[in-house]
Amino acid sequence: MVDISGKSRNIWVIVLSLVFAGVLAIVPIPLWLALWRPDWIALTLIYWVIALPHRIGMVAAWLVGLLVDVLEGTLLGLHAIVLMMSAYIALTLYQRLRMFTPLQQSLTILMLIGAGQLLIFWVQAATGQNTADNLAFVISSMTSALLWPLVFVCLRFCRRSFNVG
Amino acid sequence: MGLALLSLVLMFADSRFDFLGRVRYYIAIVVTPLHLMADLPSRTSDAFHNFFKTRTDLEDDNLRLQDEMLMLQFKLQKLDHLDAENQRLNELLKATYIIDDVAVRAQLLGESPDPFSKRVIINKGSNEGVFIGQPVIDAHGLMGQVVQVEPLTSWVLLITDPLHATPVQVNRNGLRAIAAGTSDILHQLMLENVSITADIQVGDELVTSGLDQRLPAGYPVGVVSSVKNDPGQSFANIKVTPSAQLDRSRNVLLLFSSAESKAARAAAKIEAGGNALQSTPRVEGRQ
Repeated sequence: MVDISGKSRNIWVIVLSLVFAGVLAIVPIPLWLALWRPDWIALTLIYWVIALPHRIGMVAAWLVGLLVDVLEGTLLGLHAIVLMMSAYIALTLYQRLRMFTPLQQSLTILMLIGAGQLLIFWVQAATGQNTADNLAFVISSMTSALLWPLVFVCLRFCRRSFNVG
Repeated sequence: MGLALLSLVLMFADSRFDFLGRVRYYIAIVVTPLHLMADLPSRTSDAFHNFFKTRTDLEDDNLRLQDEMLMLQFKLQKLDHLDAENQRLNELLKATYIIDDVAVRAQLLGESPDPFSKRVIINKGSNEGVFIGQPVIDAHGLMGQVVQVEPLTSWVLLITDPLHATPVQVNRNGLRAIAAGTSDILHQLMLENVSITADIQVGDELVTSGLDQRLPAGYPVGVVSSVKNDPGQSFANIKVTPSAQLDRSRNVLLLFSSAESKAARAAAKIEAGGNALQSTPRVEGRQ
């Protein structure tokens, strides 16, 4: 059983996985592929929230989001609030999410990341940062949902082999 | 809840005022290594290619480059003469002549992960004297301007971003217009509010007019690719293909215009020796 009061173990694995996700999020890819780029950072963060809800919560998600805003050059605080809300929903759902089949999990991830993308799109449209007039941004949440089982298995392997807690 | 409120305040402040630039500046110190890491694969593959180039390839390259240099020098001879003449004529007209700009080389580190926002990040920042509003060009034309400066990197808004508009002039007849970026996912510009009767043809070259007091005059912006006159519309629908290779260029030039910052220019010179390029030797004589 998870020792909730104990000292955190091997937190650097979490940091490293988030750094890796950040690099994947900005690595230059061809334009036609850019629409399909999954939201690596949100996927990684949601995994850690589900796996270690007592370590990674809304504050961590907010801090990560702030770094993402500087990393991607978006409005300061935008990714912070979106990732924090994703973390909030994941926190309330984590006990059910752990019981779900991979397909059910993927569908939940689709909703979670899709809602986040929609929020980002709204704010960017309201501040004139994004003038796209279609819903192409939804594609990215679909690829995220498709890749979720893979991300889940990889990160679970990391968590178990490094005994992160 | 407090954090949610804080991010709302941050978003509002960031979209309305610019004092959060400092906050971004310091957070960027943590984040810049990620940009360098993301750039690593392409840099290693470049290095790999360079390392395994054959001797014949290098000789071919060398010959080609010497040919090119000869051609460019030939053109430059004429240009020098025309430049001097132009200056004399301008002095006759008592117009102020714009002294040539100093350019500092920079490299692209990456582009905005959002496919709808046309912004790129380059590997020079405030440490090299980069400033907000600085024009960025490549070998073929204007690319955009700096919108956000960080210690080691800076963000450049490309001319095709829907938030960017460039005052231009048709090279053939001097007609002025504004070339705005589009939300099209490809790099394309539109000429705004040009009347149907305006003398613009397909193939016309557009250069910056310099009327915005920010981008220097005379740099190529694009070539008119299509002109459509819809009788139902009051303005012509004119599309422009940018001259700069916005999706291919890796080497870009940051322009320091002479009036702007002598200090930055001096810093660039000291920093790099050969790195600061001067477009004409005449500037040297004036200093």
